[in-house]
Formats: sequence, structure tokens, C-alpha cells
Amino acid sequence: MIRVVGVHKTFGPLHVLRGITLEVPKGEALVIIGPSGSGKSTLLRCINLLVEPDAGSVFIDGVHVNRPEVSAEWVRQQVGMVFQSFNLFTHLTALQNVMLGPVRVKGMEQEAARVKAKQLLARVGLAAKAEAYPAELSGGQQQRVAIARALAMDPKAMLFDEPTSALDPEYIREVLDVMTALAREGMTMIVVTHEMGFASNVASRIVFIDAGIVLEEGHPNQIFGNPQQERTRTFVSKILR
Amino acid sequence: MAQRTAEDRKRMWRAVDVALAVVLTVGGVGYAVYAIVGRWGLDQGYIGDRWLDYVFAAWVSLYVTTIAFVIGLVIGFFFGWIRATRSVPLGKIMRDAKKVADAQGLDHVPFPATQIIWHGFKYIVRRFGDAFVAVIRGTPLFVQIVFVWSVLLIRVPTLNPLVLASIAGLIALTANTGGYQSEIFRAGLQTVHSGQVEAARALGLSKFQAMRHIILPQAIRLVIPPLTNEYIGLLKASSLLIVIGIEELTGFGRREAFDFFKVFESFALVTAIYLLLTVPLSRVIAYVERRLRIPGLGIQEVTAPRAPRAAT
Amino acid sequence: MATEAATGQTVSRPGIVSLGSVVRVAETIVGAVLLILILQWVLEFEIADPRLWSIYWRPFTDGIVGSLGYIALILPVSVLMGFFLGWARISRFRVLAWPVATYVDFFRGVPPLVIVIFASLIGPSLMPERFQSRTLGLTLAALALAFHSAAYQAEIFRAGFQSVHRGQLEAAQALGLKPLQAMRHVVLPQAFRLSLPPLGNELAVLIKDTSLLSAIGAIDIFGLSQDVQQQLIFTPGSDLRWLFIIWTAVALVYFVMTYAMTTILAYLERRVRVRGLETMSI
Ligand SMILES: Nc1ncnc2c1ncn2[C@@H]1O[C@H](COP(=O)(O)OP(=O)(O)O)[C@@H](O)[C@H]1O
Ligand SMILES: [Mg+2]
Repeated sequence: MIRVVGVHKTFGPLHVLRGITLEVPKGEALVIIGPSGSGKSTLLRCINLLVEPDAGSVFIDGVHVNRPEVSAEWVRQQVGMVFQSFNLFTHLTALQNVMLGPVRVKGMEQEAARVKAKQLLARVGLAAKAEAYPAELSGGQQQRVAIARALAMDPKAMLFDEPTSALDPEYIREVLDVMTALAREGMTMIVVTHEMGFASNVASRIVFIDAGIVLEEGHPNQIFGNPQQERTRTFVSKILR
Repeated sequence: MAQRTAEDRKRMWRAVDVALAVVLTVGGVGYAVYAIVGRWGLDQGYIGDRWLDYVFAAWVSLYVTTIAFVIGLVIGFFFGWIRATRSVPLGKIMRDAKKVADAQGLDHVPFPATQIIWHGFKYIVRRFGDAFVAVIRGTPLFVQIVFVWSVLLIRVPTLNPLVLASIAGLIALTANTGGYQSEIFRAGLQTVHSGQVEAARALGLSKFQAMRHIILPQAIRLVIPPLTNEYIGLLKASSLLIVIGIEELTGFGRREAFDFFKVFESFALVTAIYLLLTVPLSRVIAYVERRLRIPGLGIQEVTAPRAPRAAT
Repeated sequence: MATEAATGQTVSRPGIVSLGSVVRVAETIVGAVLLILILQWVLEFEIADPRLWSIYWRPFTDGIVGSLGYIALILPVSVLMGFFLGWARISRFRVLAWPVATYVDFFRGVPPLVIVIFASLIGPSLMPERFQSRTLGLTLAALALAFHSAAYQAEIFRAGFQSVHRGQLEAAQALGLKPLQAMRHVVLPQAFRLSLPPLGNELAVLIKDTSLLSAIGAIDIFGLSQDVQQQLIFTPGSDLRWLFIIWTAVALVYFVMTYAMTTILAYLERRVRVRGLETMSI
């Protein structure tokens, strides 16, 4: 479904991604872990072309997307993204946030979009908050609206960039539950997270990224229970503590 | 290796962008100068002869501005401070009086007359300050100048016209900048107020110590950039003294333009002097503001970013 | 309003005409009346003196109409220009950003009066023959005033654009919105809302600045009142205290105009206000 081959990215003198290769088959959830600054966010951004890779290829559903002929807008409709800092549009209600994409990008009718947005909000447990503005929602609620907003585009895959690390502990659960349900329904996902419970239960594979390369990858049991690399071991021991 | 060329293309575009930007900026300014000089011709002899007179006129502008500004500081701080304090409801005064009485074990509560008079007085001064600021901000400086001038004209008709105009101009400018500065001080003090005072008092600092060690250091940092902008604004505003015949830089330049038909030369000198006085100063302020800004603390974002645009 | 936000509860949208704003307007009117009464008493004049108004009424009303005319010309031009200049100023294309920065520096560094005077003196000679007319200098000066205010408004809009969080743009792009769509539906509405309060201040300043046009002979309230002042001063035996009436009346006119402006903008701001996100006001 998503295939990344030998992707490089530099920011000025900083070589952030040094040849990343990954594959996520349809319906699987891949979890990425790695120290801060190792390039996890940059990798996700390369997949939906918020950042243009310097070298290497990104394939989505078999289409080589980082070519000039492919429009970035089209790619972004194929993969939804959820940000660490929610990034809900502050001037729109929860409902309007979810409707914006279908109406403006897909050209859907207002009424149809409204019905769909309501369904999605119900799915993330926020039917009652449709008319609330982001500033009136808790972090957990905002993040769930953000998930609904991404789902409204009917993406083929979802990217989550540390969706719970800006949340107060009491709200983490509700967001992870939504994500777990999504994975169970067969959504293809790439999740950057350090929530080990979620990773063990939901991920089919875990990828450990360090300094811009994939250092180790494998089944959750292997990565958490019996890591092969010294760096992986120290990192895992830190987050499992 | 297609990516290399993509990178190179980006770099090339950036170079083209910068080059075009420079050409457009320099070319635009150059063309404006050429268009004007082309029509009028530039009399270098005139500029050589008279530029010192312009500098003197500019000195008059700076002189008036500075005096008004400094007196305005006093007015501005006073009103700003008064207007930054919150009003105390009557109910709270009564309750406080009762608390004091209870603490002293009195069985009847003495009427807090002095408190009420004091707070009432502060209330009246504050509302007066509000009205003063509203008038200053709501009417053109032109009108303020002429108003003060006509008051003097009628009340002290024996005064020499030039002296009368000078005094009137100075009073109007001072009142004007005082009003604007009080807004700056009020914003500065109020931005610090909330929470900080309580935290300071919780540490055991006295009210005075809190002012001295917590509020003022923060407020001064907040207030200096907008005050400098106000100075720049006032310098520009001093040009309006033309209306009562005071010859500062603008008035002098206009007379020269008319008397000698040296319109472009006069315009060039006047503009150049104003730009020399204002642009470097506002650049420095913008820089200092960026560098010294305590993250999350700033009144420019909260109040209107009026920049060097206070008076008029 | 701020306390409602702090509780985070869903509250009904604040009424467009709130009790608070009615009280504020009433307070202002009472204050203005009081102030005029005090001025009358201290300066010993009678604001409704029919002898003055019999000669001053015409210039007074003509002047108001004239001033409003200039405002109607200058205001839209300056807001449009300011908006696009502010947008250009944050552009990553230096071709746009640098010339605009120079423009802003120039117009903010020079007093508007200088710009007005010299626009009327130099401007007409730069225009082609067929535009020449008696009022050309004045029109150009009015436009120059608009250019001047546009420089300030550019800075206001720039600040508005810049205070929209980067993440907002990214989120819009991640949904597949095109750059212009993201601008139109996400960045603009937020930047606009943030720009409204300072824009209200600037437009009030602009209204007052139209008085500068009287320095080059514009038919506006300040200029015509000055004419009447001259007339009074040079007519022997006229009561000079009438000057107080004139300038109090003129001040009141400008006060009402600027007050109306800021009130309209405050109303607009309430219209687009977002619950829980009230702009901090101190
Ligand atoms: N747009 C950018 N410009 C410059 N440097 C960037 C940019 N985005 C990320 N970086 C740098 O790239 C490195 C990797 O960042 P990121 O992918 O966000 O790491 P992670 O998400 O793993 O913490 C960091 O050092 C970061 O500072
Ligand atoms: Mg990250």
C-alpha cells in the first residue's frame, strides 16, 4: 500500500533521512519509534509530500508519487494525516473542520458533507460536540476531531505523528481507542508513537529509526522483548521503564 | 541524479528571485527619483547653499518633540498608572472594613469614610483620564493645536504671536503625546499585573516591593519599544505645527518650495532628513524587540501594533 | 467574555448588540455632554449660539460632506492596498517582499503632511496631459494619504498573517487543499479576525488624517472651519469666543466619525469572533 524506497532528505547541512526503505501492506498498522530528532516526522511528511524527498521514491497504492507529474494535492487526498498538535482550524466548528475537506477538495454538496461529517464525529464519540469550536474542546476531543477530519477524505491510509504526546494522560486513552478501532477495521496506518501498549496490541510491525536510518524492524514482541541492536535495546529500555 | 538538478534549479530560482527583487527595488526608487528630477532638474547649488538651514529646521522639530515627549512621559505615566489600577467595588470596601473590625475585636464596624473618599477620588481621576485619552485619540492633532491656540489667543491676547504659537504648539503636542503614552503605560502595567502581583505577594513581598522588583522591571521592558515608536510618531506629528505658523522642518520646507520654486530639492531634503531620523531608530527598535523579547510577553501583540504612528 | 471562555463551557454566541456595548455608548455620550458643559463653563461660551451658527452652519455641513467624501475615496483604496501589500510582504518571493518593505519604510518614515504637501506640488507634473485639472493635485494628495495609510495597514495585515499558526497551513495542505484554497479558507479568515482591532485603530487615524488635506486647500470640515476662523479674527468687533464653538464642534465631528469607525470594526470583530478564542483585550 505504502512503499518508501531509499528516501533521503537534507535541510541545509542537516542530513535528516539517509536512505529509508519501508513497506506497509494494505490493512496493516506500522508503528515507528525512535529518539527525538531522528527524522520520524520528516519521514511521514515525505510520504504525503508536505516535504519533498531529495532522493528515493514513495509509492502509494503502486503509484510513484514524488514525480513532478503527480500533484501533491492528489497524494494528500490518498493519505490522511493527524498531527501532534491537532492543528484544527481554530475559526471553524468541529463539524465545519470535518466538512472542509470534502466540500472544498472533493466538491461534495454541503448537505451530503454535513451528514458524513456527523457520522464521522459520532464514530469518534463526539456527536454532541459538532457545534463546538476547537478552543472549547479538550485536547483529547480535538485530536479525535482531527482524526475524523482526516477520515472525511476517505483516505486509503492514515499517518499519525505522535498523536497523543501533546495530551494530558487522562485523554490519551480515548484517542488510542479510536485509533485501535480504526486499525481493527482494516485501515492501513503508519503511527509514530511511544505508547508501547498500543504498539504491542495493534502494530503488525515496529520500525526503529535512529539518525535517519531504519536500524531495526520486526514484530512487536521481538523489538520490545529481544532487540538485536544495542541502540534499540537502550531506547526501548528507556521508553518501557 | 535527477534530484541534483532539481536542487540546482531551486538554487537558481532563488538567485533569480533575489536579483529581480534588487532590480525592482533599486529600479523603482531610482525611477521615481529620475522621473521627478527629470521634470524639475536638481539644483545642486541650492542644496549646497541651503542644507544647513534644513538641518536647523529639523533641529527645531527635534527640540519641540523632545520637550513635549519628556513632559508627556510624566503625564502618561501618571494617567497610565491610575488607569491600570482596578476599581474597588463599594461592597468590597465595606467587607474589608468589617474584616479589620473583626480582627481588632470591635463589635461595631466603623464607617470606612477615608477609604471611600480615597477610592472615590481614584475613580474620578481614572474616569477623567479615560475621557482625556478618548478626546486625544478621537480628534485630529490639527484640531487640538488650533483649540489650544485659540484659548491662548483669547485669554492672553497681549502675547507676541510667535511666542503664543510656540506655547500653544508645545501644550498641544504635550497633551497629545501624554494621552498616547498613558495608553502605553496602562497596557504595560496591566500586562504585568495579572497573577504576577499575587505571586509576588504570596512570596511575602510588600506591595511596594512587588512594584519595585516584579512589576516595574517587566513593565519597563514592555514599554520601551512602544515609547520609542511614540517618539518617532511625535516627531512626525510635530509637522502639524505648520497650522499655527511654527517653522519646523515641514513648514520650512514648504516655504522654501514656494518662495524659491525649489519643490523637488525641498522635498528631497525634507524627506531625507525625516527618513534619516526615523528609519534607523525604528529598525533598532524592531531589532531590540526581537532580541530582548521574553517569549510570551509583549504588548505590541495585544495592543494595536501602531508602530511609529501614535499622534496626529 | 473572557471569563466565559475560561470556563470552557459552551455558551451561547454573544449577542451582536450586547448590554456592555450599549452601556459603553451611553457612557461615551454622557461623558461627551459633561465635557462640553465643563468647557462651556470654563471658557465661557455657549455652544448653541445662534448668531455664530447662522454664519457657520453652511461651512460646517459642507465641510462634513467634504470630509466624508475624502474618507470614502481614501478608505477603500488604502484597505485594499494594505491588504495586498501585507500579503506580499510575507511572500517567500523576494521580488514581492523587498520592494514592499522599501515602500513601507518610506511611507512610515515620512510625516503624512509632507507626503500630502509634496504630492500636490510634484504629483500633477508627473501626470499625463489629459488628466490635468484644477483638482488633480488634491486628488493625488488624497491618494498619497491612502498610500501612506496602506503602509501601516500592510504591517497590520502582515502581523495578522504571521500570527496564524504554521500548523494550520500544513493541516490544510494535508487535506489536499491547493495553496490558494488553503489561503482562502484557512489562513485568511483567521488573519482577518486577528487584524480587525488594530485595523479599526488605523482607520480611525486615517479619518483624522484627512484633515491634513486642508493644508493644500481641500474643502473639508477642518479647512472650512479654519476659513471661518480667519474671517472672525479679521472682522473687527466679532466675539472671538466663537472660536471655541467652532473647534468644539469640529472636534465632536471627528470624534463621532472615529468612534463610529472603531465601533463598526468592533461589531465586525464580534461577528467573526470564535468562542473560546476571544482576542485578549486589556
Ligand atoms: N523544515 C525543516 N527545516 C529545517 N530543519 C528541519 C525541518 N524539519 C525538521 N528539521 C530537522 O530535522 C530533524 C528531524 O526532525 P523530525 O523529523 O521532526 O524528528 P522527529 O520527528 O523524529 O523528532 C531535526 O533536527 C529537525 O530540527
Ligand atoms: Mg516529530
